[in-house]
Amino acid sequence: MRWLALVALVVLLALPAWLNSYAITVFIFIFFYAFLGQAWNIVGGYAGQLSAGHAAFVGIGAYASAVLSAQAGLTPWLGMLVGGVLSAGLGTLVGYLGFRFGLRGFYFVLLTVAFAEVCRIVALNTDAVGGALGYYITFTGNPRQFQFQDNRAYYYIALGLMLVATAVVAAIERRRFGAYLIAIREDEQACEALGVNTFRYKMLAMVVSSFLTGVGGTFYAFYLFSLQPNSVFGIPLSVEIVIRPIVGGAGTVLGPILGSFILSPLAEASRVYFGQGGWAGAHLVAYGLLLIAVVLFLPQGAYPALRRLWLRTAAR
Amino acid sequence: MSDRPGPSRMHRRTFLQASAKAAGAAAGAAALGFPAVLRAQVPTFKVGAVHPITGPLAEPGQACRLGAQMAADAINSAGGIKSLNGMKIDLILGDTQTKPDVGRTEAERVINQGAQMLMGSFDSGTTQAMVPVAQQRRVPFLVDIAAADPITANVAKAVKEGQQKTQYVYRNFPTGSSFGKKAVQYFTEVFQEAKVSPKRVVLMYCNDLFGQNNAKGFQAAHAAAKPSWDIVEVIPWPEPPQDLSTEVSRAKAARPDIIAPITRPASAQLLLPEIRKQRLDIMGIVGPGSPGLYEAGQLATLKEDLEYVMSSLPWANFKNPRTQKVAEDYQKRSGGKTFDTNSGYSYDGILLIADILERAKSTDPDAIVEAIHKTNWSGGLMQYAGPVTFNELGDNPNAVTTMIQILGGKPVAVWPREAAVQKFVFPRPKA
Amino acid sequence: MAPGGRGPEVRVPASQGVSRLDAALIAQSLLSGLLFGGVYSLMAVGLTLIFGVMRVVNFAHGDMMVWGMYLAWLLATRAGIDPYVGFVGCAAALFGLGYLIQRALVDRVVEAPHEMQILLMLGVALVLENSALVAFGPDPQRVRSPLRAATVWLGPVFVDVARLVTFVLAMLLTLALYLFLTRTDLGRTMRAAADNLYGARVIGADVGRVYAVAFGIGAACVGAAGALVSPILPFQPAGGLGLSVASFNIVIIGGMGSLPGAFLGGLLVSVAESLGAVFLSPSMKELVSFSLLIVILLFRPAGLFGRAAT
Repeated sequence: MRWLALVALVVLLALPAWLNSYAITVFIFIFFYAFLGQAWNIVGGYAGQLSAGHAAFVGIGAYASAVLSAQAGLTPWLGMLVGGVLSAGLGTLVGYLGFRFGLRGFYFVLLTVAFAEVCRIVALNTDAVGGALGYYITFTGNPRQFQFQDNRAYYYIALGLMLVATAVVAAIERRRFGAYLIAIREDEQACEALGVNTFRYKMLAMVVSSFLTGVGGTFYAFYLFSLQPNSVFGIPLSVEIVIRPIVGGAGTVLGPILGSFILSPLAEASRVYFGQGGWAGAHLVAYGLLLIAVVLFLPQGAYPALRRLWLRTAAR
Repeated sequence: MSDRPGPSRMHRRTFLQASAKAAGAAAGAAALGFPAVLRAQVPTFKVGAVHPITGPLAEPGQACRLGAQMAADAINSAGGIKSLNGMKIDLILGDTQTKPDVGRTEAERVINQGAQMLMGSFDSGTTQAMVPVAQQRRVPFLVDIAAADPITANVAKAVKEGQQKTQYVYRNFPTGSSFGKKAVQYFTEVFQEAKVSPKRVVLMYCNDLFGQNNAKGFQAAHAAAKPSWDIVEVIPWPEPPQDLSTEVSRAKAARPDIIAPITRPASAQLLLPEIRKQRLDIMGIVGPGSPGLYEAGQLATLKEDLEYVMSSLPWANFKNPRTQKVAEDYQKRSGGKTFDTNSGYSYDGILLIADILERAKSTDPDAIVEAIHKTNWSGGLMQYAGPVTFNELGDNPNAVTTMIQILGGKPVAVWPREAAVQKFVFPRPKA
Repeated sequence: MAPGGRGPEVRVPASQGVSRLDAALIAQSLLSGLLFGGVYSLMAVGLTLIFGVMRVVNFAHGDMMVWGMYLAWLLATRAGIDPYVGFVGCAAALFGLGYLIQRALVDRVVEAPHEMQILLMLGVALVLENSALVAFGPDPQRVRSPLRAATVWLGPVFVDVARLVTFVLAMLLTLALYLFLTRTDLGRTMRAAADNLYGARVIGADVGRVYAVAFGIGAACVGAAGALVSPILPFQPAGGLGLSVASFNIVIIGGMGSLPGAFLGGLLVSVAESLGAVFLSPSMKELVSFSLLIVILLFRPAGLFGRAAT
């Protein structure tokens, strides 16, 4: 029954009372990356259109809200919507080009990477947004500027974002839209043969996904206060966005969340415990080995595997 | 997967979901709280030293860490902080992986483990992400290396406008704008002293944070100072580059008298041989200040290509005998590396922190900030233009650069006169 | 005033630009671009082979190449073997690595969803990059070779001998691979397996072995490429990602699975970037190759020389 999911929710809501600020920060990133992963899940997991360029949407949302806040005094509470819309605009462009021209699989992946890289290079060379120096947001702690003196406020916002994205994905899964996306993922040509307008549904998925990701960009900007083109548009961020749903189970509602809860603490622990003794880099070797292990032993992702395991034990 | 979950299955499935979340949360909380419990209660003053130990800036980051560790050892073996009963300095080390989100998390982590001050973190982007943590948690943050002006300026502004109560972020390193001013000044002075008047300078720089910042500062200072020489061409390249032959050809087409490069170690390894290969007929290579033109590893790889190259860098004061000794120590402990900007400023950072604590006579953050404001310290190993003080932005106006030159395969300070260890050679001899 | 900002406003004087009529500069950049294209081609050949045969995208490509470079460096510094000779050893070592990776890891996910293959190779990339960091440290290295300094001047333009040698070797290597694929049994089996997996199995080809050898050869090419460019390109463990991205660009533009495509694609991309560096700002030259990539993806995804059917 739903009440157990509610229990989990209550636990998460109450945790900040007991946790120190460092642990809260770790949870904030768990929620935030789960949010981004969930947004990606819509187009990458359900619709099966792998995008490795979602960092572009984060970047656009981040820079848009940051610049509007600094230059036009627009509060980021509204700026995040503007950022989301602009990201959705880019998403529409990429989606249109990719889907209209029939790019599938690896070719679509590369198209998304190319666009993200173009955004990165343009940002690097545009003085108006700081170029390679980056954009530095002043920390004021003023809630009207979407900034908070207390880390816990960010915790609840990140948690809220994650829940909103999950609700969106759950809603999509329940409706026909979700069924269409899954069908497109499984066999697009059959869908087309049946008369389904695959282009429209893929585009919709892309637009929703990029909008949400753009909103996440604002959180990034007003939590880290430091926008660097290589960090916020870069391939490593796209990879971070993508591995959580894949490890957790792409195309499932809980996959990105589970993936984030697995990967973030593990990355944290491996950096803290391995990274200390002059074996610089050893922790990332461990992280890489972990990824390989997940692929070899849990190829559908953690969530489906866990579910199979549970169903098997429950069946006894 | 077509399932029709009945009510009991739904129950189990949600239980699984819920328990996965709760278990993750609990495990996470336990794992993260653990180190704090393990750490024994020894009365030391903990400084969180956070630098990029892995990632693209691993090389300077590791140098910073070693410099900080050596300085802490030196302070402790000399008796610790005397005004606090010989309290020793304990470093809690962090690795930012050159990523802002990791930098922020590391800052939180070291504070959670008891860090009462922060020091770091070399690259401006990551340093900036740590600023809110310092302001939120009221932990004084000494930026040992990072040149972007806004890091401190933004905080000063927020305090001035009443949005923040106290400024906790201070920097002991030349800012981007001061790099540029000093470079232009040294260029002009060196040309005058050498009694030559080169007219055409071609600025070539790596298009990353440091390169762009420095290049802009250099050009702005040039426009303000209006010296007798011009910057006739500006050529940025994407960092790291794979090939610089076209860029150098373009520089050559501008008929330069001087090439002014801002590089990173990798791009320097491409640029300097290319300049030689394309037979640029220039008076010299004089850089406004960058890594890549003086490190031991670079000298070993580039050898004679680096001879006579000048660069305006924050540098150690080798006229100070203490510096010599520390440099030798550093060379041993690092496996042959030069005691340079990175290791040096981190070393001085810890010494500076020790001085601040001596005067604060307390570990209270606001008392420390008070002591920071009153700083007037001359015990550093780096070349300064005066004692270390902090201005209204939180920067040290006396943190300056020095013009060094590679002579006889070694980097030596050649300008200004009070810092010079040797006389410079300019123009460079014809090959 | 609202918070934020980029620090003090800096008025940056515009660059005075290069006279477009400077023929020597343009000729030089074309020549340099062409010669450097040999380097790019070498990088791409191994990648395209692996994809062409197995439809696996080797995201660890750049990091394998970095290992090839480090191995060459080890041979040069510890054993005094010049990279233009030692590349054979590097190729052999990486063949072994590639074969192993395929047999132990990639084989298990050939049938799995695409994302899993990507994730696997990403994991391999992370392991390779960071074990290089642990083993060799973060400093950029370069192999010293007697050819470094050699230039040949043809009037106002010059030829970088090291790059010329690499160019020639890239051509020879591509040719050798081409002959292997068309003239030898194993090569033909590989192509058969690539074109029609089911059919290849039907005629009894040991597909597992074919794949492993293909991956091994692809890795060997990458190893040889790394060794041959180690005197030209400074390398560090963190450099793998950039090399991977550049290689993907070339292979897509040239045509996935096409050897002549990889070779000519490398030349094309290099010349385009070179001209971009002359006419635009050099820091934007990557924009040229990405724009080219997007255009090719949209209008001719098979690449300039690839087969039309994917």
